[in-house]
Amino acid sequence: MVADRRVPGPVGAERRARLWAVTLDAADPVRAATWYQAALGLSHDEPLVMAGGVELRFATGASHPPGWVEPARIILNFHVGDIRAAEARLVALGAVWARELEATRWGIIGTVLDLDGNYVQIVEPTADSPTCLHRKEDHG
Amino acid sequence: MTVATPALGSILLGTTDPVRLRDWYTAAFAGGDSGVFTEVTPTLFACRFGDTSLLIDGRSDVTDTSPDPGRVILNFHVDDARATAERLDAVGFTWLVELEERDGGLFGTLVDPDGNYVQIIELREG
Repeated sequence: MVADRRVPGPVGAERRARLWAVTLDAADPVRAATWYQAALGLSHDEPLVMAGGVELRFATGASHPPGWVEPARIILNFHVGDIRAAEARLVALGAVWARELEATRWGIIGTVLDLDGNYVQIVEPTADSPTCLHRKEDHG
Repeated sequence: MTVATPALGSILLGTTDPVRLRDWYTAAFAGGDSGVFTEVTPTLFACRFGDTSLLIDGRSDVTDTSPDPGRVILNFHVDDARATAERLDAVGFTWLVELEERDGGLFGTLVDPDGNYVQIIELREG
């Protein structure tokens, strides 16, 4: 197990913030939502796509050029129970791979591009992964 | 056989200055019931905010400031958006859109030091 050293936060802070949703700017929001549903097997209750307890929202806001100039700036990490099954699903969909499945210290990880060029990673954490990378239910 | 639905386990922010970005998110949202950042490596920090974690990763494949802000927006729900805004104003945070009433609650948009857009939301009951 990798040790996580705690970084002190503000003293006496009485607050609670939840990272509730991620909004992705999409050339075609409906198509993007459908892609996430198909690529990852997520539930899609239009217009929301749910990934665990987090909402994925798709919107067309300011006009962005096609594809990220720096896709590594924000990466969405989806934790899966069976990464080979997740890989097969993405392959069947014809997803573009930025990095094929690879064993790392964080677990087995693969990276694909979504339809708008965002990096989407599938991750199967291992028992040795840092606790922060485990599923919420594994935190106790 | 039951197949578990994938969860968005974490959102990773790539940055050239992970300490600066960690300190910003700490000042904005960490602490209290939200937990604090852990140092996974000297250039990788993690903090859980609700059902997912924010990872801040020092990387060489990004520049100092986002060339395309707004492509992805992180939405933080807070219990008291006005108190949050007052606290952030006191330490000089930059607002792209100041806190305002919209249908369903209070919304404001911050810009983090790398240029990423961060929305603060307090939803009204009902």
